[in-house]
Amino acid sequence: MSGVDLSSIVKKYGAFQVVHGIDLTVAEKEFVVLVGPSGCGKSTTLRMIAGLEEITAGDLTIDGRRMNRIAPKDRDVAMVFQNYALYPHLNVADNMAFGLRIRKMPKAEIKTTIDDVAGILGLTDYLDRRPADLSGGQRQRVAMGRAIVRHPKVFLFDEPLSNLDAKLRTQMRAEIKRLHKRLGVTSIYVTHDQVEAMTLADRIVVMNDGRIEQIGTPMELFNNPANTFVAGFLGSPPMNQVRGVLTSEGAKIGDTEIKIDGVTAADVGRPVTVGIRPEHVALKASKGTSALPIDLDLVEPLGSEALLHARFGENEMVFKAETHGDIAHLSGVTDIHVDASLVKLFDGETGQALNLGG
Amino acid sequence: MSDQHVPNDGRLIRLYDHFKREWQIYVLLLPMVIWFTVFLYKPMYGLQIAFKDYSIFKGIAASPWIGFEHFQTLFGSDQFMRALRNTFMISMLSLCFGFPMPIILALMFNEVTNQVFKRTAQTIVYLPHFISTVIIAGIVITAFSPTAGVVNSVLGWFGFEPIYFLIKPEWFRPIFIGSGIWQEAGFSSIVFLAAIAGVNPSLYESAVVDGASRWQMMWKITLPSILPTIIIMLIIRIGNLLEVGFELIIVLYQPATYETADVINTYIYRQGVQGAQYDMAAAAGLFNAVIAFVLVMTANTISKRYSRTSLW
Repeated sequence: MSGVDLSSIVKKYGAFQVVHGIDLTVAEKEFVVLVGPSGCGKSTTLRMIAGLEEITAGDLTIDGRRMNRIAPKDRDVAMVFQNYALYPHLNVADNMAFGLRIRKMPKAEIKTTIDDVAGILGLTDYLDRRPADLSGGQRQRVAMGRAIVRHPKVFLFDEPLSNLDAKLRTQMRAEIKRLHKRLGVTSIYVTHDQVEAMTLADRIVVMNDGRIEQIGTPMELFNNPANTFVAGFLGSPPMNQVRGVLTSEGAKIGDTEIKIDGVTAADVGRPVTVGIRPEHVALKASKGTSALPIDLDLVEPLGSEALLHARFGENEMVFKAETHGDIAHLSGVTDIHVDASLVKLFDGETGQALNLGG
Repeated sequence: MSDQHVPNDGRLIRLYDHFKREWQIYVLLLPMVIWFTVFLYKPMYGLQIAFKDYSIFKGIAASPWIGFEHFQTLFGSDQFMRALRNTFMISMLSLCFGFPMPIILALMFNEVTNQVFKRTAQTIVYLPHFISTVIIAGIVITAFSPTAGVVNSVLGWFGFEPIYFLIKPEWFRPIFIGSGIWQEAGFSSIVFLAAIAGVNPSLYESAVVDGASRWQMMWKITLPSILPTIIIMLIIRIGNLLEVGFELIIVLYQPATYETADVINTYIYRQGVQGAQYDMAAAAGLFNAVIAFVLVMTANTISKRYSRTSLW
C-alpha cells in the first residue's frame, strides 16, 4: 500500500499561514491533481509531501509510515519540477543516472534501468545529448525519466507542463496519462490549469487560499461543484454566475424567472447565485428550458462551436453554441434558452451549493 | 545601377533610423569609447619606438628605424631573461594558488547558513581589497619584520631563530603570492558568489529528493554550474598572466631579492623610467603584450573547443 495520507496539515511561514489544516487521502496507484489559482498552497503542499518544506503541524504518512521528520531521500518519492531541474552540465543519460549513482546502484544495473526508461520515453537516441540541445518536450521527458528510473512509491509533479507551448502540452498530457496507466505509481500532480486537472486526474482536489474547496472525480466536480469557487474554476469557459432570488417557481434573475423544482416556501426570497454552464444552453426553446434575453456582444468561432459573449442586465456571460459550419446565424441571437434541470444554485451569502428538496 | 543602390540606401536609412531611435544607448557607450581611444589606442602610436633608436629630442616620427635590435638586446640580457623567468614563475604560482582561492571561499560562503556569521566573514575578507598597495606592503613588512613582526614572534614561541624574510630570495615568492591572496581572494570571490546565486534552486531541490548530501551537491551541482564563470575568469587571468602586480613588488623587493623578485614590469620601470631607455622599455612592454595576446587567444580557443565557454 503506497498511498499518501495528509491529516490536518498546516504550513506557516512565521505568523503567515499558507496551508490551513488540509486532509487528503491518496489511494495506491491513484492519480490525484491539486488544482487552484496561484498562491493557493498547492505547490507548498506538494513540497511538504516531498520533504522540501517542513510541516508546521499535522501528519503526513506515505505507505503507512509517518514522514514528517523523514529526510526527502528516505521518503521514496520522486519529483518532476516545473522548470525540469535538469543538470545542464550532464547529458541525458547522466541526468537520469544522477539519483541512482547517489544511491550507489551498480553501474550495469544503472545502464539497464536507463536504457529501459529511455525506451519507454523515446529518449534512446538522445542519451548523449545535453539538456541545452533538447526541445522543451524532450527535456520534460528527461525530467520524468529521472523520476521513473528511481522506481519510487510516489510521483510528485509540480506544474510540469507549464513551460511548454499549447500543442506540446496536450501531447505531453496524454503521455503522462499513458505512463501512469503503464507504471501504476501513485501520483500527485499540481497545476493551475483546470484542463490538465480534468484530463489527467482520477480525483481532483480544488484548493483556494490554503484550504481544500472540494475533492472528487473530474465529472463530479464539473457536474456538482460544492461552491461558487469550484464552479468558477472548473470548466472552460467557466460557469456563468448571476445573482438572483428564489421564488415559488424557481429562481428569478433580473426580470427573468428560471423554472426550478423543489423550492420550498421557506426558501422563497432567499438570495442565491444562479450558475449556468456555457454549454448547458440552447438557441431554441424546448421542454424544460427558460429563455434569457441577452445583448450579444461578440461571437468567437472555435470551429465546430462558437463562444457567444453577451450581456444579461449587468452581467457579462459566455455561452457555447454549435456552428454547424457557419456563424452567420449566431449574430442575430437575442435569447438564450437555459436547461433548467442543469442550472446550479448556490447560497447567495456563503457561496455553498444548494440542494433544493434534498 | 539603381537596383544596386536601393538596398544600400535602405541600409543607410535603417542605420540612420536606428541611431535616431537608440542614440541614448550610444551616449552611454561614449565615455568608454573615449577612454579606450585616449588611454589605449592613441598610446599605441608610440609603440613604434620599440623598433626605433628613439631620441626625445628628435621625437617619435623622426627617430631612425632600427628593426628588431632592441629585442635582440633584450634576449641577450641576463637581467631581462631573469625577469622573464621570474614573471612566469610568479604568475604560474599565483595562478595555481591564487586562482582557486576565491572559488573555494565562494563555495564555503555558500555553505554557511548563519547569515550574521556569513556577512561578517564576507566583510572581513573583502576589506583588504580596499587597502592601498603601499599600506599592504607596510603591513607585510611589519608582519615579517625580524624584530617586531608577528610571524617571527610566533616562530620564536616554538624556539625558532628570527628569519629575515624580506631579504631572502627564497621567501619572496611565497610572501608576495600569500599577500596577494590575502588582499584579493575575498573580493574576487564576489564574482563566483554571484554565479552561485544564479544556479537554479530546483537543481538542489531535485538533488535533495534524489538523496544527495551537501558535499555531493557542492561537487556535482554548484561547481559544474559555475564552471563557465570559472573558465571566463581563468581566460581573463591567463590574459593578464604577465601583468604581475608590480606596485607591490616595487615596494617589497630590493637588490638582495632581485634573483626571484625582478619581473618584466619592474625591469621596464628600471630601464624606461629610471634609466631613460624608453625604446628598450617599449620593446619589453610590447613583448609582454604580444605574449598576453597569444595566451588569451589560446586559452579562449581551447575553452571554446572543450567546454563551449568562451569570451568571444
